[in-house]
Amino acid sequence: MHAPTALIADDEPLLRERLAAHLARLWPELQIVAQARNGREAVELFEDLSPRVVFLDVHMPGLSGIDAARSMVARTQIVFVTAYEQYAVKAFEQGAIDYLVKPFDEARLVDTVKRLKQRLQAQAVAGGPAGVEAVLERLAGELRGSGQLRRWLQWIKASIGTTVRLIPVEQVIFLRSDEKYTLVVWDGGEALIRKTIRELADELDPERFAQIHRSVIVNLARVAQVSRGVNETADVHLTGRTEVLPVSRSYLHLFRQM
Amino acid sequence: MATDGRRGVIVYGMASMTQTRDDARRGFWPGFFARLTGQSVAWAIGASIIVALMIAPIFKPPLPVLFGRTMFVAIAILLAHTAAGQWRNPPLPRLVLQVIAVSITAPSATLAAYLLSTGGDVYAVFGNEWRLTGFLLIGGAALLLGLILTLGALYRERDAQANAQALQFALERESLQRQASDAQLKLLQSQVGPHFLFNTLANVQALVESGSPRAAPVLGSLIAYLRAAIPQLHQGAPTLGQEEALVRSYLELMQMRMPDRLGYTVDIENSLRSLRLPPMTLLTLVENAVRHGIDPSEAGGRIAVGARRDVATGGVMLWVADSGRGIDEARPSGTGLANLRERLAAAFGAGATLSLQALSPQGVRAEILLPAEPR
Repeated sequence: MHAPTALIADDEPLLRERLAAHLARLWPELQIVAQARNGREAVELFEDLSPRVVFLDVHMPGLSGIDAARSMVARTQIVFVTAYEQYAVKAFEQGAIDYLVKPFDEARLVDTVKRLKQRLQAQAVAGGPAGVEAVLERLAGELRGSGQLRRWLQWIKASIGTTVRLIPVEQVIFLRSDEKYTLVVWDGGEALIRKTIRELADELDPERFAQIHRSVIVNLARVAQVSRGVNETADVHLTGRTEVLPVSRSYLHLFRQM
Repeated sequence: MATDGRRGVIVYGMASMTQTRDDARRGFWPGFFARLTGQSVAWAIGASIIVALMIAPIFKPPLPVLFGRTMFVAIAILLAHTAAGQWRNPPLPRLVLQVIAVSITAPSATLAAYLLSTGGDVYAVFGNEWRLTGFLLIGGAALLLGLILTLGALYRERDAQANAQALQFALERESLQRQASDAQLKLLQSQVGPHFLFNTLANVQALVESGSPRAAPVLGSLIAYLRAAIPQLHQGAPTLGQEEALVRSYLELMQMRMPDRLGYTVDIENSLRSLRLPPMTLLTLVENAVRHGIDPSEAGGRIAVGARRDVATGGVMLWVADSGRGIDEARPSGTGLANLRERLAAAFGAGATLSLQALSPQGVRAEILLPAEPR
């Protein structure tokens, strides 16, 4: 029988080396065929070398350990390595997926090695526990933070001279259309950006920003008061600013609840 | 529908407008009734009973009649006293007005009480010796007691005002203290993530186990970082020199963890090392650069930290630039930067700014400008 092979993936070299050193002592027959520095490398090396065991750090740049595992899980034994990702640890427990928590002691690794040896002997064909794909898919989603349905614009990039300012949207007071461009007025000044008011209305969180006129979007947190004008119009007054923004008839329904 | 937040804002704006209008319009009667408390009515009735009992032995009509008269007078005085206290922008001090009101009401209400009983016949009151004596006794007692109670009421009111003011001060002081400790709590919560701590410890463990000579200095950096990053509640503002040491410790630790992905330079002008800053000013920016710029990038990048005085303006510029992944426009801006902005404003006023710019070809530069210290 061939000697079992393993791949170690972790973005932190000292931790890769420590794991390799411990495995060499506890499981001399195991051949560490490669070490990967991120999820993408791990997948590539896995496809090239088909190791029977993969140690995968959960938190890696680019492709995470969870994402990397999804393409391997049916063909190998995976042990996740993680530091304090409680939700991940919980999911591993529930899914009967093997894992190590950094910094781990040798006793824990001895258990893991014992389990891996049993599994390698028991089944010639590798494969994780039942339902493991579903667990990994859910975890991958949580890691990416795709819990929210829609990712709203949080930063506005504005060119000022030769620099590109990054303006957090909570500092934006209002936006006003200026032909093909949009004027951004924020706590730090004013700037023209290339996006149209229509694009911005679509990208900004409607809980925080409201289009009140064909050409105006206002940050609702900066509204001091709304005064009704004659003939189905209204004016928006801003906190700490002298500008008065018009509310046009077709947007008046936003304020009609009173 | 996502309009609830928006409506809330508008409704709040309208509500505050109506409030001010109401205040200006608040009329005579609501204030009048607010001042006419049960306690003041009780005082008036009590006084009228005492007067009635005192003069009863030398009085011809039965006690209930006498009591009715004294109570009528007492209530009249109370109403006059209360009305005088309600005068907006009075031409005389309120006490003087109230004394005048009581002095006029005491005899005239007594007279009115007698006129009621005699059917409006003035002669029947002043021509009858008994009635005249009764008028003088009731009127005199009413005047005397009315004035005493007026002064008493004034004294109690002053006392209550002083108490209310003391309570107001105590409340304000408490809310200020709460704000200050809230800010510090936020700072406490934001520091030393367990993920950072356990990963770093795992690296130190690896160095120790392999007998590396780097173990001791790295452990030293971790201790220095923890000592500064677990803030003591009563520590004052650190100097830029201390902040530099903290940032160097942190960057050394991160470079141990990702030697192939992180390079850094720290360039602080020597004369600025004694400058006092809010705690974690530079560290917040450096941690952001690592967390959002270097760590998510496979290739990593460099971080440049610096501080220098602008000779022209006398202001100070601090910066942290990284060549990492750059900002994803949909990435939440997080509380760290907003919190730092608040702390800078609290320490240096509105003149201090914190701004971010995107770098080419990639990366982010965070820049703090502090106004020149007034001399």
